[in-house]
Amino acid sequence: MVAAKKHVPIVKKKTTAFKRHQSDLFMRVGESWRKPKGIDNAMRRRFSGRAAMPKIGYGSNKKTRHMMPSGHKAFLVNNVRDLDLLLMHNKTYAAEIAHAVSARKRIEIVSRAKQLGVKVTNGKAKITTES
Amino acid sequence: MATSIENLSSDLIWEVTRNQNAFLVKRKQSGGIQLSRDPLNLVNKHSRKYAGYANEKAIGIHADDNTISFVTKVASKTNKPASVHHKTSFAASTPSRKVYRNVVSSTAKKGYRADLRAEAVARASAIKRSQRDVKDTKRVTKLRGAKAKKAAAESS
Repeated sequence: MVAAKKHVPIVKKKTTAFKRHQSDLFMRVGESWRKPKGIDNAMRRRFSGRAAMPKIGYGSNKKTRHMMPSGHKAFLVNNVRDLDLLLMHNKTYAAEIAHAVSARKRIEIVSRAKQLGVKVTNGKAKITTES
Repeated sequence: MATSIENLSSDLIWEVTRNQNAFLVKRKQSGGIQLSRDPLNLVNKHSRKYAGYANEKAIGIHADDNTISFVTKVASKTNKPASVHHKTSFAASTPSRKVYRNVVSSTAKKGYRADLRAEAVARASAIKRSQRDVKDTKRVTKLRGAKAKKAAAESS
């Protein structure tokens, strides 16, 4: 496995989730983000003490966007043929084996990845057996 | 009426096929990467420069079991698909520097896609590296908790 190319440090400007307004008050209001639309809504009007709303300024640096902590980006792989595409990109992309791939084929993919020097993000899944 | 494709420019081929073609691999991950399975694409990137099927001249290097096969397109035979590819191969025992020298002298040094010199050498090198035996590097992890106690009890 080859280490990723050198890159500027990955900065996450906000690591907590944006929660939907009043999702803390009502069971029926889920946490997943919905933008408040009400005419009088204090959160929408960005009053002090209210939770922050997502905006473009929270976006990651273009150079580190989609990057994992290792510095690679993920590339979904279904078979060895897909993996061979990463021969020249083992410093920028890491292979991610698709969830429906069987244990037998995973072993082939992982061993080929070792030859190519490609990192596999989920290389241990379904392969390792409990002992 | 027989169709003649003599006037079909590579720019037109590219414009027609750039959105979707059989070699193109699209992923929604990582901001929508586009790679290419084209055997004449040196870096597997989907782009006009590297697209082997669209360019009149293109270089392809790929692994064939233990050998490296090296393909170029003959520009004068664009209309004869059967003989358009010029193929050679390097045995597994060929030293990597000799492979690079041969690749460069038969392409870039002859003015054949000199823009792909570095990519061709890099690909040949990557293939050579992938054909080497993989060292079995088993990482020894330090046992913790119940497993560590068990191991300590067994060893003493």
